[in-house]
Amino acid sequence: MKEKFAQWDTLFVLYLKRDWKKIIVWILGIGLFSAAFVPAFEEIAKGQGLLGMYETLQNPAMISMVGPTPVETASDYTLGAMYAHEMLLFCGLFAMIIAALHVVSHTRKEEDLGLSELVRSFQIGRQANSFAAIVETIFINVLLAFFIGGVMMSFGADTISAEGSFLFGASVGFAGIIGAGIALVMAQIMPTSSAATGSALGIIGLLYIVRAGTDVSNVDLSMFNPLGWAYLTYPFTENNWTLLFFAFIFGLIMVVIAFALEGSRDMGAGYLPEREGRRYAKKSLLSVRGLFIKINKGVMISWLIAFILMGVAYGSIYGDMQTFLESSEVMKQMFSSSGVSIEESFTSTIMMVMIGLVSILPIAIVNKLFTQEDRSLLSQIYATKVTRTQLFWTSIGLAVFAGLVGILLAAGSLGGTAISAMGDSSTMDTLDFLVAGYNFLPSVLFFIGLAALALGWSPKLGKVVYLYLGYSFVINYFGGILDLPEWFSKTAIQSWIPRMPMENFDTPIFITITVISIALMAIGYLGYSRRDMIEGT
Amino acid sequence: MTEIVNVQGLQKSFGKFRALSDVSFTVNTGEVVGFIGPNGAGKSTTIRILLGIINREAGDAEIFGKDTWKDSLEIHKRISYVPGDVTLWGNLTGGEIIDLFLKLHGGGDKQKRDSLIKRFELDPKKKAKGYSKGNRQKVGLIAALSVNSDLYIFDEPTSGLDPLMESVFQEEVEKIKESGKAILLSSHILSEVERLADKVVIVRQGEIVEAGTLDELRHLTRSTVTIEAEGDVAEMASVNGVFNFKQKDNQATFSANNQYLNDILMEASKLGVKKFESAPPTLEDLFMRHYEG
Ligand SMILES: Nc1ncnc2c1ncn2[C@@H]1O[C@H](COP(=O)(O)OP(=O)(O)OP(=O)(O)O)[C@@H](O)[C@H]1O
Ligand SMILES: [Mg+2]
Repeated sequence: MKEKFAQWDTLFVLYLKRDWKKIIVWILGIGLFSAAFVPAFEEIAKGQGLLGMYETLQNPAMISMVGPTPVETASDYTLGAMYAHEMLLFCGLFAMIIAALHVVSHTRKEEDLGLSELVRSFQIGRQANSFAAIVETIFINVLLAFFIGGVMMSFGADTISAEGSFLFGASVGFAGIIGAGIALVMAQIMPTSSAATGSALGIIGLLYIVRAGTDVSNVDLSMFNPLGWAYLTYPFTENNWTLLFFAFIFGLIMVVIAFALEGSRDMGAGYLPEREGRRYAKKSLLSVRGLFIKINKGVMISWLIAFILMGVAYGSIYGDMQTFLESSEVMKQMFSSSGVSIEESFTSTIMMVMIGLVSILPIAIVNKLFTQEDRSLLSQIYATKVTRTQLFWTSIGLAVFAGLVGILLAAGSLGGTAISAMGDSSTMDTLDFLVAGYNFLPSVLFFIGLAALALGWSPKLGKVVYLYLGYSFVINYFGGILDLPEWFSKTAIQSWIPRMPMENFDTPIFITITVISIALMAIGYLGYSRRDMIEGT
Repeated sequence: MTEIVNVQGLQKSFGKFRALSDVSFTVNTGEVVGFIGPNGAGKSTTIRILLGIINREAGDAEIFGKDTWKDSLEIHKRISYVPGDVTLWGNLTGGEIIDLFLKLHGGGDKQKRDSLIKRFELDPKKKAKGYSKGNRQKVGLIAALSVNSDLYIFDEPTSGLDPLMESVFQEEVEKIKESGKAILLSSHILSEVERLADKVVIVRQGEIVEAGTLDELRHLTRSTVTIEAEGDVAEMASVNGVFNFKQKDNQATFSANNQYLNDILMEASKLGVKKFESAPPTLEDLFMRHYEG
């Protein structure tokens, strides 16, 4: 036993030394994001703010995004209750994703790159590396928890108590540890590091969507969701510390499973079997397009399935909406006075969220071309009659195709499920959902355009497109809650597009953004056809 | 004999780092040109310029009389290339990748492919992820050798191959050469270059330091002489053109400047020679001088 983990502490110290910059950015980034908005929320809470916010967040669309609150009457809705309600789920999710990415990059990815082989040739235990990586991640999350608690408390705001602050921090920290545990298991099961990253993020996404459904229909069911053990602790109101115990046990079980799996597999191999392949290629592979489809097939299929699940999860909420409306007099008034049905309003919000997520896949496909270039996978292909024009536009074409299909599946499955859940009372048909979805097509094209621009002129910046997507997502997410200034919310591309079916289709905007996106792609192409190819340097 | 590759005064920098400062050479039909030099000398950079993967800053690079950057497409129809570190898509099999390369190149020979797969003892049904370094290299080689090209560019093609496979490769290259094709071969395995190359180009820190046929180059350098004599061989040490003198009893080994070979022989004959062996410099000797200097 001891032998397996021999020298893990050496590696642990090495990781801290190597990662210290990353750790600082990590803790400051998530920590400040989680804790530092207290003054902003104090602004919102002024006057009738708390009351209004309480009612806004009773809307199922909002619950499916930010989660529930245990507070039952608006008068009990304090600043602390609101802060935890709006922020905790999102911050926990954020912490989970970062921790999962970190764990895979320190375990499976190093293995795939052949670094662990070198490390293992020294006097270091077989599992020391994974152990050091998980200990490091836990250590960072513990620091993060204390940092968040400390910063929140330091504002000295009313109802932001010390206990609640540290519970908030601990909940975020435990979310990170859960994410790390899931990622460590996936790193053992999957055949490659990218599959491990993809599946870990997929599971986290699934947990988030499943809880959206259970939060609206029956919150008790969310208690069975690992994510629930972090965001349902209700800091500042119920201060439910016991849930963290479940989170701890879950994390522990994950780590134990991961080590058992790792102990009995070979380095560089996974548990999913490798089948014997073909001696000759199928005809369908024998072109740039065939090759790119083959390479992206795994990612495309998993994301497309995720889009369908997402649509189904959100769609199933529609059935509960009328009941929900009956229970709240204020909500009922709000909707009957605005002339928009609760279903339509929900669709407008959720569609923007979903199409934002759909954009991830096309960006990934465009970025994949550079990943291949960087790993020298294309060197032998450059020396054939394949042109750069072909490589570039085939990637873009595939990305656009993935965007079109992604919207179809997300909007279609949302509509299909929603209509069957609503039964006879349905006020919308499938076409309404599809139109609302394709209304956002220009935003997807815009992200493809940005990725194309990066690919052509500064390919290392391809990852920044995800950052901008994340940023727009946050802006849209909080746009519904906070009253952001117009210019600020317009920095997110989706904010330019009207939200159908609540608002009307805007032809000039649709065309303008589409044209700008195509121009970005063309500019990207100019760069791509001129620049030096980069090969692993 | 026509000129296939013509490179003149090539320059290339990466940021502030000057990778190539002056590279010129030519490759003709039916000729194998060995392209050698220490690590980081600029061999792969030159080859990437020839392939149009990167662009030069100054100088000319032409293949078949066409510009390697502007007319790369025309050029690529008639060349084959194998990099020193073949990387493959892990989820495709070797067989699939070979077929793909043949198709993307055009003009592949299926029979040639199958016979090469046999000769190189490659299992084409295995996913590339499971290939060893040498097996990945074989995939690249088989794909390049199965197509009919007029110019073959190899950048350390045999790195990772076992000696048996190395000699299979060398036989294949000899066949190509006999059919009158041009070959540019960059390699650190000097015996390989010595066996295959008609001409050698030595590059160091982005500059060509030596170029010519092996015979020409040998002429410029020193032979290794071993001598055994009845008299005191130590006297040889002071003769003009003798370097690196080492003595053991009445036997001595030294390098001799070829220009002074006659003087050295005259001196030696005074000592009552029992044995006199002169070995021409190997490429390695030649090369060491440039590596170290
Ligand atoms: N894309 C790049 N960016 C920065 N530096 C580079 C790049 N490509 C090559 N270099 C540098 O240029 C120099 C020449 O590299 P090159 O790969 O041509 O050497 P080489 O002669 O092929 O060496 P080796 O024998 O090791 O293969 C090296 O110092 C290398 O670090
Ligand atoms: Mg090289």
